[in-house]
Order: sequence, then C-alpha cells, then structure tokens
Amino acid sequence: MFGLWKTWKALEARGIMGINRRNADYVLKYNKRSLYPIVDDKIITKERAIAAGIHVPELYGVISTEKEIDNLEEIIGARSDFVIKPAQGAGGDGILVIADRFEGRYRTVSGRIISHEEIEHQVSSILTGLYSLGGHRDRALIEYRVIPDQIFKSISYEGVPDIRIIVLMGYPVMAMLRLPTRQSNGKANLHQGAIGVGVDLATGLTLRGTWLNNIINKHPDTTNAVDGVQLPYWDGFMKLAAGCHELCGLGYIGVDMVLDQEKGPLILELNARPGLNIQIANDCGLTLRTHAVEARLEDLKARGVTETVEERVAFVQEMFGHIPAVEG
Amino acid sequence: MRSLTLHLKLLIAILVVLGISVTAYQIFVLGIPVTEDATDDLWNIDAKVEFVASAKDPVKIQMFVPPLSRDFVSLNESFISNNYGVAVNRVDGNRKVTWSARRAKGNQTLYYRLVLTKRYSGEKAKIKGPTFRDSMTIEGPEKIAAEALLAPIRQHSADVETFVGEAIKRVNNPNDDNVKLLLAGDPSAAHKAKIVELLLSIAHVPIEKVHTIRLVADQPQMPELWLRSFNGTDWLYFNPETGEQGLPTDRLLWWSGDENLITVDGGKKANVTFSLNNSEMNAIRLAKLTDENTDANFLEYSLYGLPLQTQQTFMIMVMIPIGVLVILILRNLIGIQTLGTFTPVLIALAFRETQLGFGIMLFTIITALGLSLRSYLEHLKLQMLPRLSVVLTFVVVLIAAISLFSHKLGLERGLSVALFPMVILTMTIERLSITWEERGGGHAMKVAIGTLFAASLAHLIMTVPELVYFVFTFPAILLILVGFMLAMGRYRGYRLTELVRFKAFLKKADA
Repeated sequence: MFGLWKTWKALEARGIMGINRRNADYVLKYNKRSLYPIVDDKIITKERAIAAGIHVPELYGVISTEKEIDNLEEIIGARSDFVIKPAQGAGGDGILVIADRFEGRYRTVSGRIISHEEIEHQVSSILTGLYSLGGHRDRALIEYRVIPDQIFKSISYEGVPDIRIIVLMGYPVMAMLRLPTRQSNGKANLHQGAIGVGVDLATGLTLRGTWLNNIINKHPDTTNAVDGVQLPYWDGFMKLAAGCHELCGLGYIGVDMVLDQEKGPLILELNARPGLNIQIANDCGLTLRTHAVEARLEDLKARGVTETVEERVAFVQEMFGHIPAVEG
Repeated sequence: MRSLTLHLKLLIAILVVLGISVTAYQIFVLGIPVTEDATDDLWNIDAKVEFVASAKDPVKIQMFVPPLSRDFVSLNESFISNNYGVAVNRVDGNRKVTWSARRAKGNQTLYYRLVLTKRYSGEKAKIKGPTFRDSMTIEGPEKIAAEALLAPIRQHSADVETFVGEAIKRVNNPNDDNVKLLLAGDPSAAHKAKIVELLLSIAHVPIEKVHTIRLVADQPQMPELWLRSFNGTDWLYFNPETGEQGLPTDRLLWWSGDENLITVDGGKKANVTFSLNNSEMNAIRLAKLTDENTDANFLEYSLYGLPLQTQQTFMIMVMIPIGVLVILILRNLIGIQTLGTFTPVLIALAFRETQLGFGIMLFTIITALGLSLRSYLEHLKLQMLPRLSVVLTFVVVLIAAISLFSHKLGLERGLSVALFPMVILTMTIERLSITWEERGGGHAMKVAIGTLFAASLAHLIMTVPELVYFVFTFPAILLILVGFMLAMGRYRGYRLTELVRFKAFLKKADA
C-alpha cells in the first residue's frame, strides 16, 4: 500500500496525466460536445481542412448506402493503390489499405491478396457501423494512399508512420512519431503494438520510444535506433498542428499527420481523446506542460492579446523544446 | 470553472445532508430497525377438534381459545367449520368458542387456527385478581393432615410467593404421610393441584389453575397445567410439579379454571390435537401486519406501502445504483476495463437468477461457444443484423440444450436460465467479438475477465441481504450515493492500474 502511494506521489511530481485528469480537466473542459462530429467524422474533418487550405490526402469518393457500393469500381477507376476507411472509425480499425492490383484481385499493404467481393463486404461492414464509435451507421471513404517518406524506411515496419501532436488551445504541447510494427499489423496505434517515439518540439529530433508501456531505444523489427532521427519539415508539422485548433474549434486534440514522399505533410485525422502513452515516449508528464500553456493563456487574456499560429509555435518551442539528449 | 466547482460542492453537500437527515429521521424518530435481523417469531397454532356426532341431537361444542390479553398479539384467527354456527364469547377472562349445528352425523372435524406473535412493546393493562378466598371445608383426618402440612409451610415462607412454592414442594413429596393421605392414591398432576388448592384455601391464599400451550414447533402436545396466584399487582405462576415460580416465555395461556378444554353436547369421543409451527418474519412486515391494531402508520409512505409483488421488483431495482457504484469504482478508481458501463450490472442482475458459480460457468461456456460461432460466421461475410440474429438464435438453442442436459442429469440449476440473461448473453457475445476484432484476442480476454469480475463483485454486493434491506428501507441512502458519484465525476487522480502502466517513468528515475 505504501509502495503504491509512493508511486502515486512520484507520478504526480513528474506531472504524469492520468485518464481521469485528462477527461475531467481537458477533454470535458476544452472540447465542446457539439463539435465532436467534426473530428469523429473524417469526411467532415477533410472538408473543413480543404476549406481552410490545409493539406489532406485526396478524397476519391464517399459511399454512404448499400446501393452506392456498386459505385465502388467507378470510384477506384484505374488506380492501383487506395485506402478505404470508415468515416467514424476509432483507433485505426476497419481501414483497408490496397497497395497494388494482382490478376484482377487486390493486394493489401501487408501482402494479402483479396477479391473485389471482399472489399465490398468490408465497405458493407463499415456502413453497418461495425467500426464506428457506438456502432452507428457509418460512411466509407476512399482516399489517396499515403506513401511515407524514405526517411522512415529504416525505423518502420510496413504501414505508414504518422506524427501525433497534442494541441491545447492551439499550442502544441507534446509530439510523438508513431511507427507501425509487425505486431501492430502496419497500424500506427500504440495499443495495437505500434511504437511511439517522442519528438523534440523545437528541433524535430526524435527521442527515445515506448512500446507496450515500456521504454525502448530500438525498433523491434528493424533493430535500428529510433532516437536521434531528424524529422524533415518539422516547423511545417508544428504549424499545421497548431492551426487545427481554428479548424475544428476543439481545445484539446491529438492531431495525426503523415509525411508523404510527394505531397509533404498531410493531416490524416484529429482525435478528441488523445491517448496518454505519448508521455512515456517523451519521458515527460503532460500536466506540467498543459499547466504552463494554461498560465500563458491566462496571462494573454489579462492583456487582451491573441497569438498567431507562428507566435504560439515559437512559444512552445522556446518553453518545451531543446531537450538535452539522454545517454544510454 | 471555479463557480462550477462551488456549485458542484454545494449540490453534493445538499444531497448528502438530505440523504443523511432523511435516513436519520427514519431511524431515530420513526424507529425503523436498522437491520433485518430484528425478525420475530410468528406462530401458527392449529387446534384440530374431532368428535363423533350422534345422529339425532343437535350438536354444540364449546372450546376455550386463548384470551390473548397481554404478552401476545393475534395477527389472524380463524374458525374453520363447514356447517357450524360460530360464536365467541368471554367468560371470566377466558374466551370460548361455541360451534353449533342442528344436525350432524359421523366423524366431525373442526379447526381453530391462530397466528400470533409476541407483543414487544406497549403498556401493560392493569390486571385484577382475587387476593382472598374462603377456606374449603374439610373434615376428619384430612383436616388434621392438612394442618400438619401447613405448619412447616408457614414456618418456611415469608410471603405469598414463597408460601405457594413451599406448599407445592410439600405436596410433591411422595414420602410424606400427610400428603399420601390427602392424595388418597391418586398422584396425578390434576389431583395434586387440587390438594394444593385445598391447602392454600385454608390459609386464605387464592390459587387458580391455568392451562398453557408450549410454543414449540412440530411436537405433539397437550395443554400443560400451571398454577397461578395474584399477589396484589401481578400474577405469580407456579409449576405444580416442582413449585418453581415464573412462567417460561414460550408458554401461551390458553384458559384458566377447572373446566375442561372442550365440552361436547350431542357427540362423543371428543379429541383436540394441537399442532404448531413457526416462521420468521421481518420486523417491518410484522409491524405492518400489526399496524391495524396500533396507531403507527409510519410505513405508509415508504416502499413498504407498495404491493408485495412490486416490492420485490423494487428490492432488485434499488440495488442497481449500488451495482453501478461498484462498476464506477472499479473503472475510475481501480481502472479495470469492462464491456461498457452497464453490461456488468446487467450480468450481475442475470446472476440473481442463475446463482453466481453456475452463472459464471454458464456465461463462460456460452460466451466461448458464441464467440467461436461468430468467428465462423465472420468467414461467411454476413452483415451485422443477420449475423446478430444467428448468434441470438444459437444462444437460445445452447441454453435450451444446457437446460435439457442438466435436467436429465438431475441438476435443477440449469433450468434457472430465464429470458433476461439470454438477451444479455447475446449482447455480451456481440460486443466482445467486436472488441476482439478491434483490439485483438488478448484485449478481449482482458475485457471479458474484467467484466466477469466486475459483474461477480457487483452481484455479491447487490445481494448482501443486510444491504438490500437497508437500501430498500432507507432509500434516501441513494441520495448520498448520487453525491459520491457526482464527486467521482470530478475525480482526477490516477487509477490504480495507471500506477502500473506508467511504471516505466519510475524505473528510469531509480536508475
């Protein structure tokens, strides 16, 4: 019992945020329920982003009824690679990534060959709400398949690595690079076995990683070191993330972005309840940083000033960036 | 934000204070018992009267029934007799029932049934009794023997109480020649009582015979003879065999006096047999039953005012918040993952019908089979609704099969599966399989075990009889519960499992 109490105190001292605090102090406080559909429905997110001039993967088409499944072939056209997603999917479930065609069939990114009927069934499952939050009827979207930048080749296993930045009221507070593993089936979700690697907000240099709640330094599949990698276009990512606050109106979000080898940084999706493992990846508690941002907001409010995206990014980079590299 | 916190604190305070004060009012002012333990014995006494009626004469049977004056309260009294007229009248502190019929033939059976319980409070009515009586007249050697007996009794006694006790002891000494003479070869209890009465009458001490029934279940018995004497304020009871004073609490006074229990005109071979059994009853319900005899109607506006059937439903319903509270604590404080919030509570409710051990077994088996069926259906690429229907049907068939097998094996348990658990089972299977697909088998197992654990714990707590009674009797407790839940709504500390989850931070700090 005493040990637990000590653990509690130690975690609190380091500012580690627990689920209850995240829900009570951030998600419930900053995220208005009525705005949830904007982030929960990827189609709406995409439309908003396009309207705001933010880069997103190109949308090929939307299927919202069983009847429209017949249009699938038409939507795909001659393209050999594309992604089918549930509009309201959670945790990367129900996503089908087609990398190539093979003798009238399709090859998924993991090398599985599937028929057109199987794709249609997948779309049908999406429509019935199998993958949506709460099991409601859903829509399926077919979009551009992101081809990750070569920089990730050595520290990633299949799939598309993405960058998650947690943004509080437009201030990015913590960032992490998510690398798919063999265990995660090419998905970039930590609870499915992907690796999270902390990123220095100022420089875009990767820190150490977390895998299944443990701290790691090497990718389990490629055994290449995950730390000390310079992410390109880092300031671009930061500004993209900071701008998402204006895009959706939610105060506490996780912004998921990818680096396409041709189109550069793209926004994949927004998350109104971002996970907490990012803290392990960064070896840092969220609460200290969010409190610093909240103090800054109070200060600005008192002075009647609002900051632009650039100013906000500069503030957080000054405040939380330039973490000295750790030995080991 | 701050005003919201104050608002919340105020709301919590109001709810808790309201809950506590209503409960305290019920306990201290209305005097409702806090535990169900305060049960009372309820006695069911049947007196069966059998006799053979003579064909020609009208029949009239008179039997004493308990006067129920002091220590007992009657809840129900009935005279079961087909064609007989019934009349009850009081004679000298006794009550007598008279059954009468113009014509009856052959063996006749009449019943008298009394349901009673001990009266536990209330003022005792003033009682009156004789304190003086004239001597009975005796002559010759009996007189000498009686006086010879009385002399040492007088010496060894101080008051009426010890006098009577001493007299009874003397009469019960078979070696005393004076006693032998007075008994005249008839040492029956009735005769001894008569001698005692004779002796005491010489000393002008009145004595009365009382006939009692012992409140003991399932034992054949006949009315037991006791003697009593009035000391000016109270009746003193004496055992005619030993002279011991004081009537045991399990004796019910049936009638007093010299008369027989039953007198039959126009019949013969009259016989009365007594059979008793007892049952326990919740003090509350008893209070409600005796309510008609008393002024207390404090239960009028409680859940006890509902019809019995509805009460039973409510007994389950008021426990649902308790179950939800358990899940809330398990999820938000401990951090156990469960399938949704209310599924564990529903499963806990289902356990009511199946019992815990069997319920867990049943759930595990059916869920495992259901999941394997669902994973097979997955290959067929069916849509959600048809797939769900197939799973539901399969669950029904499975439950039917299990019920049949267990019935054939003589296990009645299997039949306890009702409609309600079946729907919950199907839901659980569907949700579990979705979790399986989304998060993988390991996570699904974790969730399933978490759900089963939470459900078992909720079930155990929801069926603690003391708790059920308490919440049902003092529903204001639920307000306190709501207060706690509201407070939990703004709890932002760690969950117990998070301490383990974030252990990685501490390892580094130590190194």
